[in-house]
Amino acid sequence: MADLIPITALGLAQPKSLTVGSLSMTENTGLALASLALRRDAEAVCPFGLVLPEPGRWVEKDGVASFWMGPGQWMLEARGKAEEDFSAELKQQCPGHSVTEQTDSFAAFEISSPAGAAPIIAVMTKLVNIDPRGFTPGSATRTGLAHMNVFAIRRADDHLAVLGMRSLAACLWHELERALKGVSEVPA
Amino acid sequence: MRLSGGVIDRSKPLQFSFDGRSYSGYAGDTLASALLANDVRLVGRSFKYHRPRGVFSAGSEEPNALVELRSGARKEPNTRATMVELFEGLEATSQNRWPSLKFDALAINDLFSDFLTAGFYYKTFMWPKAFWEKLYEPIIRRAAGLGSLSMQADPDVYDKGFLHADLLVIGGGAAGLMAALGAARAGADVILADEGSELGGRLLAETDTLDGKSAADWLRSLEGELAQLPNLKVMRRTTVFGAFDHGIYGAVERVSDHLPVPGNRPRQTLWRVTARRSILAGGAIERHIPFRDNDRPGIMQSSALRAFANRWAVSPASRVAIFTNNDSGHCAARDLLAKGVEIAAVVDSRGDAPQQGDFRVIRGAMVTGSKGRHGLASIEVSRPGGSEWISCGALGVSGGWNPNVHLISHHRGRPVWDAELHAFVPGPDLPKGMTVAGAAKGEGSLHAALRSGAEAAMASLQQLGLRPEALRLPEVEVREENLQPLWHVPGKGRAWVDFQNDVTVKDIKLAYQENMRPVEHLKRWTTLGMATDQGKTSNVTALAVMAELTGKSIPQTGTTIFRPPYTPISLAVLGGGDTGTNFRPRRLTPSHQWAKTKGAVFVEVGQWLRAQYFPQPGEAHWRQTVDREVLATRRGVGICDVTTLGKVDVQGADAAEFLDRLYCNPMKSLKVGMVRYGLMLREDGHAFDDGTCARLAENHYVVTSTTAQAGPVYRHMEFARQCLWPELDVQLISTTDAWAQFSVAGPNARRLLQRVVDDADLSNEAFPFMACANLTVCGGLRARLFRISFCGELGYEVAVPARYGNALMARLMELGVDLGAVVYGTEALGVMRIEKGHAAGNELNGQTTAQMLGMGRMVSSKKDAIGAVMSRRPGLQLETRVLVGLRPLDPAEPVVAGSHLFAEGAVQKTENDQGWISSAAFSPHMASAIGLAFLTNGGDRMGEVIIAANPLQGQQVAMRVVPTVFVDPEGERLRG
Repeated sequence: MADLIPITALGLAQPKSLTVGSLSMTENTGLALASLALRRDAEAVCPFGLVLPEPGRWVEKDGVASFWMGPGQWMLEARGKAEEDFSAELKQQCPGHSVTEQTDSFAAFEISSPAGAAPIIAVMTKLVNIDPRGFTPGSATRTGLAHMNVFAIRRADDHLAVLGMRSLAACLWHELERALKGVSEVPA
Repeated sequence: MRLSGGVIDRSKPLQFSFDGRSYSGYAGDTLASALLANDVRLVGRSFKYHRPRGVFSAGSEEPNALVELRSGARKEPNTRATMVELFEGLEATSQNRWPSLKFDALAINDLFSDFLTAGFYYKTFMWPKAFWEKLYEPIIRRAAGLGSLSMQADPDVYDKGFLHADLLVIGGGAAGLMAALGAARAGADVILADEGSELGGRLLAETDTLDGKSAADWLRSLEGELAQLPNLKVMRRTTVFGAFDHGIYGAVERVSDHLPVPGNRPRQTLWRVTARRSILAGGAIERHIPFRDNDRPGIMQSSALRAFANRWAVSPASRVAIFTNNDSGHCAARDLLAKGVEIAAVVDSRGDAPQQGDFRVIRGAMVTGSKGRHGLASIEVSRPGGSEWISCGALGVSGGWNPNVHLISHHRGRPVWDAELHAFVPGPDLPKGMTVAGAAKGEGSLHAALRSGAEAAMASLQQLGLRPEALRLPEVEVREENLQPLWHVPGKGRAWVDFQNDVTVKDIKLAYQENMRPVEHLKRWTTLGMATDQGKTSNVTALAVMAELTGKSIPQTGTTIFRPPYTPISLAVLGGGDTGTNFRPRRLTPSHQWAKTKGAVFVEVGQWLRAQYFPQPGEAHWRQTVDREVLATRRGVGICDVTTLGKVDVQGADAAEFLDRLYCNPMKSLKVGMVRYGLMLREDGHAFDDGTCARLAENHYVVTSTTAQAGPVYRHMEFARQCLWPELDVQLISTTDAWAQFSVAGPNARRLLQRVVDDADLSNEAFPFMACANLTVCGGLRARLFRISFCGELGYEVAVPARYGNALMARLMELGVDLGAVVYGTEALGVMRIEKGHAAGNELNGQTTAQMLGMGRMVSSKKDAIGAVMSRRPGLQLETRVLVGLRPLDPAEPVVAGSHLFAEGAVQKTENDQGWISSAAFSPHMASAIGLAFLTNGGDRMGEVIIAANPLQGQQVAMRVVPTVFVDPEGERLRG
């Protein structure tokens, strides 16, 4: 087994977590990512039993998920498999198509709330120009967040994921933390 | 003086200071109302003439009462006292006066007013010419301007957010409230924004009843209902300052400006509101009537007098007069009388003015003068047959109403003249999705505004596809304005039109005489309407005066329009809270943590933070560090984090063809397991970027680029894939962040790598120069190895998934101790690539060609590629400057990048310019500074001595022209 010790996108030994009011955020260091881009003359695929979703959508099944990135292009997520070669697994599922490892292209931050959708929507209004009314569970989009390019995924009513460039993880964490604290302030 | 009633909280007294003196007020007061309650009428000095000025309005259109609010780092100039909510401990100082408000030395300007009329500076301060920069300009600069800055960093925090709605209602007065209520009841998602701390607009100053209730009671029960509607968001203290594209509105919420300190809340929040529809219910602003000496403290809008009396329970004086051309003035008089204020007279220009209360009405009359320098003492009233002086401490002026058409013109829509209303109203060209309601469209009386708001809601709902419910309007008295226009009182003396910029009717006459008659010229020549109030209380009056002078009608004269922001907003809130290190996002490399522990000095390279060099104890100067890193690399082995260089994963059946068209040199012929240096050209034939192309498998490549061009190259590749050649089967994705990549270079590079690579033959035979492979390191971790080098040594680049980069760097350094392993930063990287004659960003500056770079033969003539044809155009063939190396004749002399090159003895002027030095560094190998330069016919001038000139700093250095490669010119080290 490889004997190099990985560090998180935030440069730490362990994933960072934060709880403010009714919002929690955790760095999802275990998330494996791989991109799938279809080649022209290869067979249609359903990797890990997933029906590849339409633009703006995210689907999940048994710990593997997928969201649309572009015409003929999807990102696959695999919970907990970051230290494995998930792209090799995906390649086996999609022979003849273009698969690229993307696990460390992105840092993933999971934001959730025991109080349901309201705090999630509140935090979205501070971060991204996305109409929350149309961003129901199963929605995923690329958008701008404080001069950075991110993917936002509504995994559930009470759960939002934000994926940003790994090299920008510290900046992204800072912005997310600021928003979480901002919406948790009790007004004077 | 204080009156009874009002919407203030007498149970909460507050202390504040103005110009160092203490006063008290109540919660609910504004700074303006509290000053008036304390009989402080003098609050400022006018811009040019430094005339004493007082509060003029009760709202955000205030032109006179501008103060510096707060002290220390939070001091803010040009704050309108009418919009400041009083809080405990508030400090304010007046502006634009020295040494004091009462005794302002610059009031001497007023005596020279004939010389300081509009446009005076176009005719003065011209002679002698030399005096302008050193004398006149500094004096004018000191005298000009309004408030002053604290010059300290802003300690407040600002925030931003995004909102989405079906309907944005701008303004929470009678019309806006009805509109929001109607739309929200029908199920629309509504945002109602008002710039005030309370909803209600002019209702807060109204004495008429709604459904028999007082305005305050009616508002209270309405707000109760509004609070029950989950689909309605009410935003108080929020100014919608601009209508932007695509239904986006900018708004600033003053989150804690009304508090002594913000605590841990932001001071203000910038909101971007995207609304499918909007209703502008921004109200109307009362216009005044210019007359001689109409700018004394105590002369204000009649509606302001009314609002101060009804809402804030203050009057500027115990005895007031009214000057009006419509029925509004009489309402004010009636309400003031009811509060115990003595009404000296209502001066009404209309011969048939009504009698609406128990006060003297002087019909068919005008105010023609005033007295009282630091506060109004008396007014002169004239009518056919004679004039009289009437004593009073305040005068309310009502010349009619100007609908607030500001936002409708943000998309260049022009307001149109309504001949019946005698006002500009919104025209047909509105920002998309906007409807106007209430006083903002000229329907300003209470009954009309309520109905107008409800109608606007119905129209918006229909457009949204929602079914409106009938909205019952409260019963109110129907009142008419009955205005007869009076634009100004003719006569001698100065009559002010624009208070804030000190522009008078006389100035408009001068503009007319100087032929500055079109409204855009009138505005700019007189500066009328160009102050922070954007002419809210002066524009229309000025047009009317100009119309009179030219004999045209007002619509024929036209009007200027407005642009955002509606009222001044701080630059800090526009920044949305991103300040200091958070101003721009910063990218960190995978080995950043390790580099920090090793004391690296970092440098910004675009968005990245890269280790520049690693000082060791005992090294006092960066040159010592960098020289050591370079020498140690060339002697043993050096390691550098090169993750920042762009990496693009290219796959697909047509990947080879695709790359062959992108690079000017052949790429289709690249074999699996090999890397090739590649040059991309721009469409116009100039060099775009260079990098490497590695073929990992039949249809799998990794393309690298320079750090600076990573984004542009990726974009270029995507454009080619999606738009130029969509028929090619090729897929791209960036992998710059995904893989940590380290350069391992030097004579011991192979030996070091053999200690980390698992079971791979790295001998020169098995893994020659420019080979590449997927393999594993450190016990099975997937990795990639490329045998490439830009420093002229035996060199490789090793890549692992980024999360392992930090550990790999540490491992390499640990395992390489006996091999003389050293970490090097961007500085040493730069020295070594210059020593090796490698082009980098300095040479690939967008102005150079492959030919100039010495890579002319790389541009294949056997296949087409982006830029190939254009690279052969005659214009570029005429270029004779090529890349050469330079060494100073005297090794102690510097080589300064940017220096221009001249033949020895040539006069140093543009015509004799023979090129420039693009890169320079001290080379420990050469024991002197060296440079790379573009030199005319450089290839034929090896050994020649030329001059490198830096005239800005008086440097002239003699250089010898040499080949670009200073180290290992035969490339033996590279290929061993």
